[in-house]
Amino acid sequence: MSNRAVITSFGIISSLGCDESEILDSFINKRTSFKKSEYDESVSVSPVNNFALKDYTGQFKERRYLTRGVSFALASSISAFKRSGLKECDLAESGLLVGTGPNLDITSDFRDVADGVPDMANLNALWILKYLPNTAASSIAKYLKIHGENITVGTACAASLQAIGEGYRKVRDGYCDIVFAGGGDSRISPGGILSYKMANALNTATEVPDLSSMPFDLNRKGFVPGEGGAFVVIESLEHAEKRNAEIIAEISGFGSSMDGHAMTDPDPAGVKGELAVRKALAEASLDPGDIDFISAHGTGTAMNDSMESGIIKRVYGNSSPAIGAFKSWIGHCASACGAMELVLSLICMKNDFFPEIRNLSSPVDNDLNFLLNGGSHSFGKIALENFGFGGQNCSLVIKKYDKK
Amino acid sequence: MLQEIQSIIEEILDIDGNTVTPETYVIRDLDAESIDLLELAVALNSNFDVKIIDEDIFLRSLRIYVTEARENGEDVIKFLLGRYPFITEERAAEILDDMENSPVLKVKDLISYIEWRKSF
Repeated sequence: MSNRAVITSFGIISSLGCDESEILDSFINKRTSFKKSEYDESVSVSPVNNFALKDYTGQFKERRYLTRGVSFALASSISAFKRSGLKECDLAESGLLVGTGPNLDITSDFRDVADGVPDMANLNALWILKYLPNTAASSIAKYLKIHGENITVGTACAASLQAIGEGYRKVRDGYCDIVFAGGGDSRISPGGILSYKMANALNTATEVPDLSSMPFDLNRKGFVPGEGGAFVVIESLEHAEKRNAEIIAEISGFGSSMDGHAMTDPDPAGVKGELAVRKALAEASLDPGDIDFISAHGTGTAMNDSMESGIIKRVYGNSSPAIGAFKSWIGHCASACGAMELVLSLICMKNDFFPEIRNLSSPVDNDLNFLLNGGSHSFGKIALENFGFGGQNCSLVIKKYDKK
Repeated sequence: MLQEIQSIIEEILDIDGNTVTPETYVIRDLDAESIDLLELAVALNSNFDVKIIDEDIFLRSLRIYVTEARENGEDVIKFLLGRYPFITEERAAEILDDMENSPVLKVKDLISYIEWRKSF
């Protein structure tokens, strides 16, 4: 049994805005939120401003257990539900796939630890919930009353795109008619910044925050932490048509793999990353030449961007599709980046408007078609790529819906 | 004391603390579940710096005590006062009258418990 799987709704909480028109407006007017971290002035961050979970949930006492990242996940899933036109009773058997990362906001719980004894003043009885990977899923399930198949995916920065890819397969293979898939994350807390700074992954050299995220530039110096959340609703075409749902795009292929190379860095040769990209294209029954736009992982780290541009060159040759890098607009949203970049891609695809890669003046490879001029572009077939610490690779292919 | 408890309850149950009075039922009115009581105990302990025994402050064994007293032919109110030294005789009588509509726990029981603990 094989179904066509379509995206019928999305929700997003991002530094560019929290709905389609606001985000489009940010792209057109080049409005970003990059600024110096209050915790560490050497680092820039891209925060979501003016976010309050209660605006989305109303009274919901479980908020007390939700980290900022999980709050973004819950809020964006609620937005996706509201936009979908589905009713609460439709969700009972829906699937829920969530990409999550670790809670690195450790100092909000443990302000002081003296001689190995933690100060417990701020702790909830069930503070453990802020550190369990499935708290995002359990809060979303409780709020939206989703009771079907469920997976929490913890594959670092590939997590939420992988959750969407696995969710697509659940629909395609007939396990679910409806799937909610996405994620939420925030790494702009002191603990988040500390961890990536010590791993040498952050740009600590660029003075001007707005210039600090520079994917695929020869002078790139590391990534810029961001935050946010995004969810999509994936349905079988049959189910979507039966209820006259808006069909935003079709998911046609997914591929994933692991490098088995290093605990953080990708394999510089990108052999297994390339395999994930090729698997997604094959599953979509598309040739590389059919793809119009690549939403690259493009973190702005030395390692990722050279590995990724190598993959793109090998897969697509010198006549590559247009390459975009949303992290130059929103920073690196960690485990949520894939879901957020998918929703940004959907918004761009719907509106035939794609933004340039910001801060790219000396491309790592002059043969590749990096999108340097944002504006009116009609791209109907998009490949997304995400790679994560530990050598996690995945790629998803979406296209404009065509009834045929 | 009431104000502090109101703000603790507001935080835990995500409701407007000003609606909480000493006569508010913790479970019947506020829908507190067992994990909320767990949080309440930890927060009361941390805010008032007194030892909180969940079993006692939330009157968890109330029914068992009442049955035990009746079975042994003892005066139920006196028996309850022995087990729950923080409640008054008047409150014990009120609880007995109210038990049909359990659970009987009110915000004022939390206050009495903390005041009693603080008097040590």
